[in-house]
Amino acid sequence: MADGAASKRPLSPHLQIWRFTVTLAASITHRGTGVVLYGGLLLMALWVIGLALSPELFAAVSAIIHSPLGFILIVGFVWSLLFHLMNGLRHLYWDYGRGFAMKTATMTAWLVYIAATLATALIIWAGYGGGA
Amino acid sequence: MSKKGTSAFILQRASAVILAPLSIWFLFEIVSALTADYATARAWLSVPLNAALLGAFFIIGALHMRIGLAEIIVDYVHSWAKDVLLFINWLAALGLIAAAAWSIYTIFFAG
Ligand code: HEM
Repeated sequence: MADGAASKRPLSPHLQIWRFTVTLAASITHRGTGVVLYGGLLLMALWVIGLALSPELFAAVSAIIHSPLGFILIVGFVWSLLFHLMNGLRHLYWDYGRGFAMKTATMTAWLVYIAATLATALIIWAGYGGGA
Repeated sequence: MSKKGTSAFILQRASAVILAPLSIWFLFEIVSALTADYATARAWLSVPLNAALLGAFFIIGALHMRIGLAEIIVDYVHSWAKDVLLFINWLAALGLIAAAAWSIYTIFFAG
């Protein structure tokens, strides 16, 4: 803050005073996954550009996708998209004016973590040949 | 300024509502994408529905991610760097739309 003393605008909650709650964690994770997806979407653009330009470039991008690093990136991207998607629905429900009760918010936060993790496992399992 | 904030808020939510079904489609696709080779992937993108949905995912995703990251930048950066980052954020979103649109267009009409 450049001019905290002079400013009459309200300050956001203090960064050092808080205790862990799953709703707080979900809020931070929503922001984190938003940034991960930002990077993921840019990487995905590389994939289509490679597909448009040449088989060689596509092969290079494919090689990364099939490497251990690529596996980590894909698991991270899939989990992030699932979490952000489900938690985004919580946000939209709030914008609609519902779901604020502490018990409800806590339950849906846990639900999003669990469901995102289970669905990621399922998608990765199917994608790497477990399914078809 | 306040008007700008309101329209960003609405666009962020509208894009989220459209992105939700698109993401579910996308997550199904990514399963097959993991194993696809060059010819398969190009054939897949030559299907009109796939090209349209993938294009929509990139364009709406770019709008949504630009607003989202701008909000994060404004939250944490209070120096001159803020404007630089907001500008780069714009460029990234525009570049994403241009690159994705050009690629999909090229593949779709090459057959
Ligand atoms: C393509 C993928 C996506 C990217 C790159 C992305 C990125 C972002 C970013 C960077 C933010 C800002 C986070 C913050 O201010 O803390 C955000 C917020 C948000 N996203 Fe996404 N997002 C994506 C997909 C989705 C989807 C599918 C939904 C569906 C429900 C969604 C719903 C939301 C909502 C409701 C917010 C506002 C949260 C708030 O009010 O703090 N997003 N997104």
